[in-house]
Amino acid sequence: MQSWRRKALWLALLTSWLLGLLGVFPLLRLAVPTRPRAESPKGWPRWLDAELLQSFSQPVELPEDAPQSPLAPHNGSCNWGACFDASKCRGGGFKVFTYPAADPISETQRRILASIEGSRYHTFSPAEACLLLLSLDASAGECSPGPPQWNGGKNHLVLRLHSASCSQTFQLGQAMVAEASPTVDTFRPGFDVALPLLPEAHPLRGGAPGQLRQHSPQPRVALVALAEERGGWRMAGTNSSACLWDGRCEQDHGRKQTHPGATLPNATFCLIPGRRPDASRFLQTLQAGCIPVLLSPRWELPFSEVIDWTKAAIVADERLPLQVLLAALQEMPPTRVLALRQQTQFLWDTYFSSVEKIVHTTLEIIQDRILGVSAHPSLLWNSPPGALVALPSFSTSPSDFPFYHLQQGSRPAGRFSALIWVGAPGQPPLKLIQAVAGSQHCAQILVLWSSEKPPPPRWPETAVPVIVMEGPRKVSDRFFPYSAINTDAILSLDAHSSLSTSEVDFAFVVWQSFPERMVGFLTWSHFWDEARNGWGYTAKRSNEFSMILTSAAFYHRYYHTLFTHSLPKALRTLADEAPTCVDVLMNFLVAAVTKLPPIKVPYGKRRQETRTPLAPRGLGPAPADQDCINQMTTGFGQMPLVSSRLRLDPVLFKDPVSVLRKKYRSLEKP
Amino acid sequence: MCAAVKYNIRGPALIPRMKTKHRIYYIALFSVVLLGLIATGMFQFWPHSIESSNDWSVEKRSVRDVPVVRLPADSPLPERGDLSCRMHTCFDVYRCGFNPKNKIKVYIYSLKKYVDDGGVPVSSAISREYNELLTAISDSDYYTDDIARACLFVPSIDLLNQNTLRIKEAAQALAQLSRWDRGTNHLLFNMLPGGPPDYNTALDVPRDSPRRYFVLSSQMALHPEYREELEALQAKHGESVLVLDKCTNLSEGVLSIRKRCHKHQVFDYPQVLQEATFCVVVRGARLGQAVLSDVLRAGCVPVVIADSYILPFSEVLDWKRASVVVPEEKMSDVYSILQSIPQRQIEEMQRQARWFWEAYFQSIKAIALATLQIINDRIYPYAAISYEEWNDPPTVKWGSVSNPLFLPLIPPQSQGFTAIVLTYDRVESLFRVITEVSKVPSLSKLLVVWNNQNKHPPEESLWPKIRVPLKVVRTAENKLSNRFFPYDEIETEAVLAIDDDIIMLTSDELQFGYEVWREFPDRLVGYPGRLHLWDHEMSKWKYESEWTNEVSMVLTGAAFYHKYFNYLYTYKMPGDIKNWVDAHMNCEDIAMNFLVANVTGKAVIKVTPRKKFKCPECTAIDGLSLDQTHMVERSECINKFASVFGTMPLKVVEHRADPVLYKDDFPEKLKSFPNIGSL
Repeated sequence: MQSWRRKALWLALLTSWLLGLLGVFPLLRLAVPTRPRAESPKGWPRWLDAELLQSFSQPVELPEDAPQSPLAPHNGSCNWGACFDASKCRGGGFKVFTYPAADPISETQRRILASIEGSRYHTFSPAEACLLLLSLDASAGECSPGPPQWNGGKNHLVLRLHSASCSQTFQLGQAMVAEASPTVDTFRPGFDVALPLLPEAHPLRGGAPGQLRQHSPQPRVALVALAEERGGWRMAGTNSSACLWDGRCEQDHGRKQTHPGATLPNATFCLIPGRRPDASRFLQTLQAGCIPVLLSPRWELPFSEVIDWTKAAIVADERLPLQVLLAALQEMPPTRVLALRQQTQFLWDTYFSSVEKIVHTTLEIIQDRILGVSAHPSLLWNSPPGALVALPSFSTSPSDFPFYHLQQGSRPAGRFSALIWVGAPGQPPLKLIQAVAGSQHCAQILVLWSSEKPPPPRWPETAVPVIVMEGPRKVSDRFFPYSAINTDAILSLDAHSSLSTSEVDFAFVVWQSFPERMVGFLTWSHFWDEARNGWGYTAKRSNEFSMILTSAAFYHRYYHTLFTHSLPKALRTLADEAPTCVDVLMNFLVAAVTKLPPIKVPYGKRRQETRTPLAPRGLGPAPADQDCINQMTTGFGQMPLVSSRLRLDPVLFKDPVSVLRKKYRSLEKP
Repeated sequence: MCAAVKYNIRGPALIPRMKTKHRIYYIALFSVVLLGLIATGMFQFWPHSIESSNDWSVEKRSVRDVPVVRLPADSPLPERGDLSCRMHTCFDVYRCGFNPKNKIKVYIYSLKKYVDDGGVPVSSAISREYNELLTAISDSDYYTDDIARACLFVPSIDLLNQNTLRIKEAAQALAQLSRWDRGTNHLLFNMLPGGPPDYNTALDVPRDSPRRYFVLSSQMALHPEYREELEALQAKHGESVLVLDKCTNLSEGVLSIRKRCHKHQVFDYPQVLQEATFCVVVRGARLGQAVLSDVLRAGCVPVVIADSYILPFSEVLDWKRASVVVPEEKMSDVYSILQSIPQRQIEEMQRQARWFWEAYFQSIKAIALATLQIINDRIYPYAAISYEEWNDPPTVKWGSVSNPLFLPLIPPQSQGFTAIVLTYDRVESLFRVITEVSKVPSLSKLLVVWNNQNKHPPEESLWPKIRVPLKVVRTAENKLSNRFFPYDEIETEAVLAIDDDIIMLTSDELQFGYEVWREFPDRLVGYPGRLHLWDHEMSKWKYESEWTNEVSMVLTGAAFYHKYFNYLYTYKMPGDIKNWVDAHMNCEDIAMNFLVANVTGKAVIKVTPRKKFKCPECTAIDGLSLDQTHMVERSECINKFASVFGTMPLKVVEHRADPVLYKDDFPEKLKSFPNIGSL
């Protein structure tokens, strides 16, 4: 009995326990009835008679629309179509006239004018100019009266680097305004140009490179830095909350330091309040590689017409609770952080790091408007190397350039054109033609015959066409974009060059993997010469190199266009005067665009000893030519060359395996 | 729990005293328990029936049965809107504070029928399109039925067509809405008559045949000045320009909207649009352009000649890629402007125009969702959709690669690299690897991933003394993917993955490998190279480890790579590859090669000449059979991964990287990396 009772009791207990468990949940559910029920959304009802509903418009209505007359342009709402006369730009291309500045002139303004005068767009005649540029500088004190060719402001660009009150002295009329950090309320999209607010000491040319040294954020670096009113940056770790904002928690623990104004913030994100004076912080953060987080700026972001700022900055609403924003920043996927950081650097280096770049970008934007359909596509503006070095006159299709094959899912075409330069001695390069024509990738051979001697009447029989282009030429003409070049790749050669078919084949296959770089056989390297306090370069063989001789090199034909149409004339003249300079110049150009070193491929050893014929300028440049590298550096504003320590060889190069297994056998010969 | 235990203890003491009552007591207890169980059972099912009855009352009603609201003539008009409104001045973001996952929540007011004092309805009944639009919103992730949590409000008053609307009364109706508050956070839809066409024709098949007309104008109610300009163009350029107008001589019963005429020639509309390369969109009576959607749909490139006309969704869509915008002043030059466009660009524009139509305009649903997405992007800019996602047609998206490490940047040498050694229990060999690797000048830290859960790593005092920090990480499970975990200890960007039996690499070779990585930080830079080949007989991929002239993979038994790829491997590996690798205990290196090639679109870099490696293929001591099993397994991996990736991302190259002066006739003493390729 006892045991029965005990068992029964146990059973009762168990059951009540079970009941408790089962019972509690549904009761709980009833007790909290207000929770939204995800499983049964009410939603917009499915009307039974939905099929019978009438359309919102009956077709007969259409023709009844009253026609509208064309708009008359009026000054207040100037837009590109109404207030700019593009017909003036058609004849001589895009030419810019600058009004001589009235004294006194500020340093920034002087730099701007100097950079325009040095550009390829500049003209001295206001009559042939398509754009007239007037620089207003309030800090200089005086405001000039309306200039002589004013014409109601038509085709004028008024440059205002500081928020000037000068506009009151005369009506801006139909002039476009390029202003530093204009307010969004007065900015006319598609007509005005937004500039960044420049620091006083912004360099004219070149400019400091971006500060980012690595792609991903360093571990344990501060998550956010906040621009302070006093001009510094306040750092904050990841876990600080809103007190970062108002500074109430000054005594709070946690990582927090205040930096003086000049230093660049070292954080992943930089919070910039939207007030206009804070616009000056914007460039600083870009340079530092700190992702700008703008709290609804009242100013228009610089060059917003073409730059996709969503790729480099975050414009957040300042009224969103800061915790929400910080949480969002903290949870941002690493992929996005990585992309934003890199984009800040790209934009800084490409469009903002010098006055010259800013001015050129402004002019390029206006030129794009004139070009209309043949303007830069958005991709060219927003991915390296940027629109200033991707000329739309070459092509508007990104896959024609060497830079965008990845984004376009395309490949460079599989053939090359050999371009042989025959100089003064006038020796026809018959052996070289045979060797090059033997390559399966060769499409044609172009001979640039610029010797006084006449070319031979007959050329060797080859599988590919040999085209001879006669005529005296300057040295820099070897990089002219001849229309006969119909392949993406160019093999640039001197008459003295000596290459084997294997070498050509292998180099071309390598070039196909690196279409934006120069791929060649003979190299120079540059160095800093302490003794002369300048740059020098040498042909001495060493463990690294930074230049490829164009007497035997593969590169993309686009560099001919860039060489001829974008380089300042002064630099090309320099190259004509000192022939070794032309190699330096070409290497500077490619390195400035790609920011990468060229690529060296193996070159038969037997000829490396006797390389004098290949480099007719002797073993290394003459001392007089040494200065050309420094003049180029001045012209570019910086030293663009990058050194490499590697050479790309065939996979089985000199490996202890039967030579029959190797594809490029002749490279193996001692 | 506590109560039960107490009862348990007291139980035996109580029972003897309850001898006579115990039966009743137990019966009572059991009935309570039984009742409880029944009640529980009922509770389990009851709430569901309540909910479903709720649904039932909402669904499936007629539009005519909605409640009627009478608007008195003197009911308040809403305040005049602020025309200078901007997102950050007029939009109340605080209402979006509740919304999770960076998604705005949209509330739709329930449908009512508004009538004025005389009982005349304010607007016509809800239109088919507006019903579709609200249905689309309601079916989307944006929808909420909780007005208190909504951040955006959509009235159910149909304002699509201004012509059928009584403006004042409609405004009064809006002002009645419970959260109207001067229209804050309210979204109103107003469209043009013409709207989304439903011609019920065979327009859907894009034509590839050449288009007969170069420029076509099909609008009917054009201002005479524009028409004159267009007709002048036609006179000048003859057949290639066609300017159409309304037909005047149509027979009865023919819908005039479906016909266009040029002189006496009658054309079917919109079919005629397919015959033209460019279709002119000139400013009409309204702000918007009804003809634009017809033009897009026909795959014709719109030529927009309407200053100050804001193209639809221009905030996110790059219309430069799909249309030609010509200032009104330049109308006479239209022909020459269009002729200057290269054929390739025209084809690109046609493709783009079609894509815009298909993605954003072809249905009311597409329009509604694009609208909400734009507003969502404004409110959560840090989670916004990118330019490429909005603008690139699918074919471009599939074919293109956006390299996550796109910035050409050579990291400073001073940063060095972190070596990660995966080990199980080969302590002796591990120690040798550690000693060898520690001789490399640029090594900054050494991380040992101890993958053996049954055995403790050796005592600290037993480890080799090296000049850089050495850290041992113990793992929870013996998985191959542990080697690619993004450990917090990795502070450098460069990572050297190295097996615990790779002792044959010289210090020069490792240092040179790091230098090569610095020049190619977005690639896998490794020592033993491998190749994938297409086996024509079997129609599948094959793994190749012979002496070949090409490489497409490097083994991660010794390879440098960017630490970001650790994050990708661990968290973003497509499909079930990661688990598959862990289950098979093989092919983690092939998976890494696939992953990196897929996101960067670039080939690996093999460094330095081939050596005899103590590689997985070579450890199979007992000869051919094991070796062959291994090769079969590796081939299977390649086929499996290619099917998961949906493509073969590996790139084949014919080069490897050597020091500049490798094997050159040059004094060895002067070479930076003399000890390369030695055994």
